[in-house]
Amino acid sequence: MFERLAKLALAAGLAVHAASAFAQSAQEIVAAADKVRNAQQPFRSTLTLTEYVRGEERSKSVFVLFSKEDPSGHFRNLLQYVEPPRDAGKRVLLDGQSFWFFDPASQASVRISAQQRLVGQAAIGDVLTVNLAVDYSATIAGIEAIDDAARQKRTCWHLEMKAATDTAVYSRVEYWVEQGTFRPVKGKFYSDSGRLLKIIYYRAFAERLGAVRPAEAVILDAVDSSLATIATFGESRFQDVPDAWFQRDYLPRLQIR
Amino acid sequence: MRLAAFALATLAFAGAASADDENKDLELIPRAPPQAAHVAPAPSPIFTGNERVYVENALAFTSLRDDLLVPFPPPLPPRWEDRLFADARLQWPLGSTAFVAYSGRLNVVAQEDLGFPNRGNVTHDLREIYASVEPHPRDYLDAGRINLKSGVALGFNPTDFFKARAVVDPLTADPSVLREDRLGTLMVRAQHVGERVSITAAYAPRVTDPAPLAADPYRGFSPLFGLTNADERWLVKASAQLGEGVNPEVLAYRENGRWKLGANLAQSVGKSTVAYLEWSGGRRLGIADEALAFGREIGAIPPSAPAAITQGGEERFMSQVAVGASYTTETKITFNLEYHYNEAGFSRADWERWFAAGEGRPDSSPIAQELWFVRGYASDRQEPLQRHSVFLRADWVDFLVPKLELTGFVLADAQDGSTFMQLEADYARTDFWSFGFLAGGTTGGRRSNFGSLPREASVLFTARRYF
Repeated sequence: MFERLAKLALAAGLAVHAASAFAQSAQEIVAAADKVRNAQQPFRSTLTLTEYVRGEERSKSVFVLFSKEDPSGHFRNLLQYVEPPRDAGKRVLLDGQSFWFFDPASQASVRISAQQRLVGQAAIGDVLTVNLAVDYSATIAGIEAIDDAARQKRTCWHLEMKAATDTAVYSRVEYWVEQGTFRPVKGKFYSDSGRLLKIIYYRAFAERLGAVRPAEAVILDAVDSSLATIATFGESRFQDVPDAWFQRDYLPRLQIR
Repeated sequence: MRLAAFALATLAFAGAASADDENKDLELIPRAPPQAAHVAPAPSPIFTGNERVYVENALAFTSLRDDLLVPFPPPLPPRWEDRLFADARLQWPLGSTAFVAYSGRLNVVAQEDLGFPNRGNVTHDLREIYASVEPHPRDYLDAGRINLKSGVALGFNPTDFFKARAVVDPLTADPSVLREDRLGTLMVRAQHVGERVSITAAYAPRVTDPAPLAADPYRGFSPLFGLTNADERWLVKASAQLGEGVNPEVLAYRENGRWKLGANLAQSVGKSTVAYLEWSGGRRLGIADEALAFGREIGAIPPSAPAAITQGGEERFMSQVAVGASYTTETKITFNLEYHYNEAGFSRADWERWFAAGEGRPDSSPIAQELWFVRGYASDRQEPLQRHSVFLRADWVDFLVPKLELTGFVLADAQDGSTFMQLEADYARTDFWSFGFLAGGTTGGRRSNFGSLPREASVLFTARRYF
């Protein structure tokens, strides 16, 4: 009984928030959350991915990520593996519909499909920088108070998003954005067949690239729940990234020093 | 208005209930403290993120056919081999716009009939050593031994003109690995990478006479320029970004006074598929005539010896084509299916002539030696001897357990159905250790392309430590 009363009280509170919430469109909310996650100027960032199997650290990958927003609002990404040693020097170009993988061992650039890019860890860099408002059409599914990754209660817009472009990596996304701050709290990403693939929690908000942004994302594998990855943005700085860097012939030339 | 408020309250109540469900996901988060404070270490002033150093031991066993229709001239391939090697790819910056690069492998080899210890046990493969400078942004000048690769297909690259003669003692026949273990060519290369167009020009001088087909087991630390720089060669190529993801490349190549032209294109088709096409063409002889002419040039075949096989001996315009597609599933399996065409390769009638010329002869016969020289020549140039072939490769990442990669391929002669197959498993036990197993073999009748090869099956065990 007490639990039911508490839920009703919470519902009433949320309804007040909801009334003001609907003053903003779902698309505006997603766009505002995109601006919290991503800088609009070209930047360079170090990205560390720590993989966990059943809660135990299994491996660590470090990338240098070069990212630049194109006029359509899509991010063009160029990544180089720095660690682990077996992958050092490998590069991935993720640019709209054009994906290339370069292996310095073979000195060959291989074109990969949107699906194949998801096989490698580098795709996480792309998922983290994607401007969701560009690739998805959003509707507000409700107002919810959910716990963030630090188990702090956050009052969020619960957004339901459907892929609106060919460049969308996932066909459907559920997204929770905190009211007031527009900070992304959580996302659930689904395949074309409706299968839940990934759950992402955004956490460790800190000053980075000129604003308070999430420095970490916890990526839970929904297919194999024993797997999880923590993505950590390290050293980040604004840097000019010429358009020529997104040519396949530039891949062998990239120098990250 | 009341209705709207009720609807909102209902929505919010439902939200409160589903929020409880959402919070269950928190249980899946690893109990690791937030790591934001632990940023990646600053880049080393020496290591630039491009280096890779590892030590590997590879132990191989091979079974040989003893009923070959055309006997294989001695020496036969070794039935066992153990190779311990240190492989390094290093780069040293020279200021902010220049660097020196090295890539090579130091091998300690023990194999059947080689003996131990002797000077054939230690060899060094100098894959690359060159200096690179960027005098203006995205204008590059490189000089030294460089691995210059082209092409978009996986099993056969008609536009990869510098692949010929560059592979020495491969551990596996997987084409994606063969591209890793090959020697570069001594050359000067200039490149401009623009926003939409990239242009590359390369010149490789002739510095020595051509080396024999089989790499000298007693070569020691020789750079083997007789394999890579026995002819003067030129290459000019350009790629352009024509539209959303359309990125063709065209090439012009000159060797021995003959021009070849080439083009390649890879294009996404939907979310999971990439289709690609690669073509090259130029005036040349059929592969048997070309091989015998080369054999006479290097003295492997006496000038007066009659041709054991000919494809007409006429030089004309011939094409090579690789066309195919890759497809990746949601379960992390990538399939590549390709058709390969080599107009200079053997037709069915050429194969019949090859078998008829050599059948029943002793392995010491000059005819048998000529016939196998032709096959060795095609392999040395990484060119299919068969005219039509089909290539299927599957690569399964995280097979059964994370970090276990399973790769398999089948190369089939489309004319006689014989095949060359290989299955490989590689397990990255940690970030520094990996272990591999490979099994391969050939199938087909005695009078077929792959069924007439001396190697019937082989297995390979590897252990690798990265540094």
